[in-house]
Amino acid sequence: MTSAILRRPRGEAGNATGERKQGPRRLLTRVAVFAVIAAVPPLLFDDYWVFMSAQVLAFAIATLGLDVLYGRTGQMSLAHASFMGVGAYTTYLVSSLGYGLAVQLAAVAVVSLIAALVVAVPTLRLSGLRLALVTLAFGELLAWVVRNTTDLTGGTQGASVDPLIIGQLDSSEPLHAYLIALVPAAIATALAAHLGRTQLGRRMLAVRDTELAAESVGVAVSRTKITAFLISAVYAGVAGWLYAAITGFISPPDFDLFASVYLFVAVVIGGAGTVVGAWLGAAYVVLVPELFTLAGQPNLYPIVGGALLAIVALLVPDGIVGLGRGAWRRARRVRDAQEGAT
Amino acid sequence: MSASVETGAPPVVRIDGLTVRYGAFHALRDVTVSLPAGRISGLIGPNGAGKTTLLNAISGFTPIAEGRVHVGDRDITALGVRRRALAGVVRGFQTVRLLERESVWDNVLIGTERFAQPSALSQFFALPAQWRAHRRATAAAAEVLDLLGLRRHAHRRVDELPFASRRLVEVARVLVSSPSVILLDEPAAGLDQEGRQELAAVLTRVHDNHPSTMVVVEHDVDLVKTLCSYVIALDSGAFLCDGTPAKVFGDRQVQLAYFGRAAGVDA
Ligand SMILES: Nc1ncnc2c1ncn2[C@@H]1O[C@H](COP(=O)(O)OP(=O)(O)OP(=O)(O)O)[C@@H](O)[C@H]1O
Ligand SMILES: [Mg+2]
Repeated sequence: MTSAILRRPRGEAGNATGERKQGPRRLLTRVAVFAVIAAVPPLLFDDYWVFMSAQVLAFAIATLGLDVLYGRTGQMSLAHASFMGVGAYTTYLVSSLGYGLAVQLAAVAVVSLIAALVVAVPTLRLSGLRLALVTLAFGELLAWVVRNTTDLTGGTQGASVDPLIIGQLDSSEPLHAYLIALVPAAIATALAAHLGRTQLGRRMLAVRDTELAAESVGVAVSRTKITAFLISAVYAGVAGWLYAAITGFISPPDFDLFASVYLFVAVVIGGAGTVVGAWLGAAYVVLVPELFTLAGQPNLYPIVGGALLAIVALLVPDGIVGLGRGAWRRARRVRDAQEGAT
Repeated sequence: MSASVETGAPPVVRIDGLTVRYGAFHALRDVTVSLPAGRISGLIGPNGAGKTTLLNAISGFTPIAEGRVHVGDRDITALGVRRRALAGVVRGFQTVRLLERESVWDNVLIGTERFAQPSALSQFFALPAQWRAHRRATAAAAEVLDLLGLRRHAHRRVDELPFASRRLVEVARVLVSSPSVILLDEPAAGLDQEGRQELAAVLTRVHDNHPSTMVVVEHDVDLVKTLCSYVIALDSGAFLCDGTPAKVFGDRQVQLAYFGRAAGVDA
């Protein structure tokens, strides 16, 4: 069949089963790259930038979660920061009762799952902008609850969160906070990367691209959407948990509509549907506003963010990651052409 | 295609008194026809005859006004698309529907949904059940990619492929789970002569290896004659005739409807 139909020469070679090689070497390379990058902040940065880096780790879990929901499943959410808020306020309440790591995490997971169901089930029939608007209402609801429960949550004044103590580590120390955040960030990254190799991950892509084809092979479209919501909410909740522990202080503006929009922009700019894109997005959403603040121009951030989003949406729909991949493909094509000519 | 879901002989598909309406328009009117068990049937008819609508009705993609659809002894009329797929009725689309930004490989693997699937948690946390399922799915996908000559393109994004290959990916997604009822809507459209012959050979081989009740919508008479042992003709939403290719293509009504003339008239 190759002769007649497939005129393009040169595919990437697969291994014996036709699958892309995913041997231990490839995995080791990835782990090594992750480890080298992760070692940079503690070795080279001062306390302040280690603190910022710890926040990048927390936000990376959030953007990875949003990427599962939006990048892979195509469900647009403007409540992702609110889901971080759910995690952060749950952490605050549980930790102020004196509970530690295990109970905090369990509570964050359970409350996040419930919140996700509350949003995902009624919105099953919605998509795109209409879904985004409903999720936005959820964010407003959360803000309203916090504002009106000052005794419990600190209201608009915000609340101080007790530092997280794990053995010798104390999250109020920037370096310790960084080390504490590193573990869940690594796990979240590994699981998100692995998701692409499961049928669960493929169902999400199918729901995003063509619900008809998805259904035609037996995919449960609604269940897939809900699962994506659940995963993304737990990711956001864990991110909020870390955020509360690292910064030691939370207040409603941390999790408002703007925060949700910035997360969304971050995922799109980084490259929706890719793990690396989610990390780039997290770095963007934490570090860029900080750089503007340091430069004395904090108000420029939203403007630059909006402009960047417009540019990415119009010119590089696959984000920074897509830009890199496009260059790689072009290079390969040039090489193919040269080899073909000789 | 080792990991099949259905066991036993492929079923007959019976369509009784099927009517499909879009508003006041009858896309199909009181069609009664059977797809013979374990054979490759050709579904022919001019544009707008209702061929795609018939596949939609069998696969559950369109609501039907009247009539019933049986697969073997089972009445599937009330089942949704997904339940029918899991019961072994899988269709390909006339308009290629792919995961555009994903690889050929993932586009075929999505078709393994009908295999036993581990729970979402097992999949997400890469538990042993996930690895077993992964091996099963990849083996089936590798086999169908080999059959269709797509193996070397396995890791290309489908939006980079020429149209003909994209069509084959659409077919591969259907074949990968060895359904017992296979509905293909113009799988040869856009292929050149050689490609069409090769596709016919592949479908015949698939059918020999794993018997199924297969329907192929196709306009090309020669291809239908090569591939199909049974032919069903529709025209303007009505059943015209069925039987062996020789009988159907020799039928005067079919020739009038399908070629706009009776054979020999233009001599
Ligand atoms: N969703 C729909 N709404 C309204 N009319 C429809 C719809 N789907 C199909 N039709 C009409 O029903 C008739 C039969 O369409 P169908 O797609 O089944 O034809 P077909 O035999 O597959 O034709 P072709 O060879 O062009 O694919 C056509 O006149 C078409 O316009
Ligand atoms: Mg059609």
